[in-house]
Amino acid sequence: MPLTLKDIARMAGVAESTVSRAINNKPGVGKETREKIMDLVRKYNYRPNQLARGLAKKETQMLAIIVAELSGADYKIIKSIEAYANEQGYNCIICNTDNNQQKEEAYLALLSNQQVDGAIIIGGELANKNIINTALNKNGLLVLVNCLSEELLIPTILVDSGRGGYLATSHLLEQGSRKVAIVMGSRKDYLESEKLAGYLQALKDYHLEVEEKHIIETDGSREGGYQAFFQALEEGDLPEAFFVTKDILAVGLFDAIKMGGYLIPEDFSIVGYGESIISSIIDPGLTVVAEPLEELGRYAAEYIINLIQGKNPEEIIKVLEPDLKIGESSRFKIR
Amino acid sequence: MAKVTLTNVTKRFGDVVAVNNASLEIKDKEFLILVGPSGCGKTTTLRMVAGLEEITEGTIEIGDTVVNDIPPKDRDIAMVFQNYALYPHMDVYNNMAFGLKLRKFPKEEIDRRVNEAAEILGIKNLLDRKPKQLSGGQRQRVALGRAIVREPKVFLMDEPLSNLDAKLRVQMRTELSKLHDRLQTTMIYVTHDQVEAMTMGDRIVVMRDGLIQQVDTPLNLYNNPANMFVAGFIGSPAMNFLDAKLVKEGETYYLEGNGDFKIAIPANKVEENPAIKEYVGKEVVFGIRPEDLEDASVVEKPVTADNSYMASVEVVEPMGSEIYLYLTVNEHSMIARVDAHSTAKVGDNVKLYVNTNNLHVFDAETELAII
Repeated sequence: MPLTLKDIARMAGVAESTVSRAINNKPGVGKETREKIMDLVRKYNYRPNQLARGLAKKETQMLAIIVAELSGADYKIIKSIEAYANEQGYNCIICNTDNNQQKEEAYLALLSNQQVDGAIIIGGELANKNIINTALNKNGLLVLVNCLSEELLIPTILVDSGRGGYLATSHLLEQGSRKVAIVMGSRKDYLESEKLAGYLQALKDYHLEVEEKHIIETDGSREGGYQAFFQALEEGDLPEAFFVTKDILAVGLFDAIKMGGYLIPEDFSIVGYGESIISSIIDPGLTVVAEPLEELGRYAAEYIINLIQGKNPEEIIKVLEPDLKIGESSRFKIR
Repeated sequence: MAKVTLTNVTKRFGDVVAVNNASLEIKDKEFLILVGPSGCGKTTTLRMVAGLEEITEGTIEIGDTVVNDIPPKDRDIAMVFQNYALYPHMDVYNNMAFGLKLRKFPKEEIDRRVNEAAEILGIKNLLDRKPKQLSGGQRQRVALGRAIVREPKVFLMDEPLSNLDAKLRVQMRTELSKLHDRLQTTMIYVTHDQVEAMTMGDRIVVMRDGLIQQVDTPLNLYNNPANMFVAGFIGSPAMNFLDAKLVKEGETYYLEGNGDFKIAIPANKVEENPAIKEYVGKEVVFGIRPEDLEDASVVEKPVTADNSYMASVEVVEPMGSEIYLYLTVNEHSMIARVDAHSTAKVGDNVKLYVNTNNLHVFDAETELAII
């Protein structure tokens, strides 16, 4: 049976209210008594009953993590949010909306009904009516992760994927490649267009002409990556390096290059986007643009807990930069 | 381009009626202001037009379409709030364009819209700048640009200028009015600031406790307020109200105040508002704007007992071009905006001249305007 506040009070020989004050770091407890109480708390791993605590403070100590579409990358963000939230005495419930507005509305109602103290929205690209309306309400404490808002300023943590495109391309250019192609999903996909913008900016900074044939748009699948290589072959004037914007595209591209009898990185250097299980098992090991997903989650949790505690973040929009994890797939080219 | 029609619109939050049976027609291309104190229902009304709040009763039409069940994204509206997000890693172009990109507009169309909006807003030379390189006014323009590129039928603005400092706010008011002239699009604008309302709107809707009090042009609201609330809310400093009794002597109607004043109502005002005749012997409220009171010693018009009364000076605030006198008349506080030549001092008993052509009379019970 777990220890109660009463048990700690009895063991310390003080009133329950004194234990409560000590645990909640409130004044009115002598230094020695406080230390004695905290020693017992640590020794018996006493944890206040969150429900009772929440009732007293009119808080639930609960956060909702509302995910537009659960994916591999979200997993790391969610784990990081949960870890920080737990450290701070909060529990999390994970809500997957599958991009369904009704499901999202129902989960956001947890916030308006004060069943959670705050919510973190992950993904979904553009804040919609449900989100804007919740954020406009008094109790609507929200933090957006990788989601933009057109109308309203909502605390947001983002990764600059355009910067990722820039890093990947510059790396290949720094390695001596001069003909760098981008293999990407649809240009109409916002994140893909951002990565393309980063690619174009890097070429510009290196005073290189953009070759339209080196922008290879695909359906974003493994097959798309495979076909991309043959498209490059057909165009002639083969690129020396590829920046591949999705891990699954990289798998297809690797297949095609190897099947053609070419070597990576001797014949073609490749940089992928996103650290994932897929990119980690490709051989040779893929150089990737790694998004700081754990940091992203930690900031999101820190932001929402600060907001709950009445503290506004210094930067309401926090943009994190990805970095490059060098693998075996990109190597300096001797010209 | 579209008109917006609200018909018997009510919004309830539980037992609280936020908007009560509001009917309103906003004309195509009109710049309409919703104004009122906090909690009056103006923002809820705007959010219902936007589709952010569901309507409890009634209908809202945009153009000829009832939009009650149409989601915000399909309503052809764009909203601008006071707190807008400018993304620090995006340049001005992309801060204006990302919504269109996410909605998968073709690149050429995005280019056209962003360039046109930037041209209208005078920020074409800033398109490749990042937000931190912009001034407050330029940032505000980018936020407006983001709404403009959506080419909506209706712009909905919720106190968009309230985060700006006083000087910039005045400047942006003018710019927004010019922008409206240029875009020729219906705009609905919410503010609690009556000066903003008076200087910007084609028409103003004054709201209080969820009820529309009056809908009219700024000048008509100012000159002919429908009730004491509108009279007191519009105009700064606010209109003075004094308890009075309506008496008739001969053919003249007087506002008599507890022995402190006896002001004659001009005959033409009585003829224009014959309902006043029913109030003889009854309690009414005499309303007079600060600028319609003058220090009788500096006024060039004939001062008589019928158009003046005495008041004691509590505070004198010289404003340069004029002086604000804070006065009391039989424990009622009032303000007069008098000529800068006035020599009234604190503690003086001054004679105030009343511009009776601009006086107002209200029913003491219903607070509705009689004159």
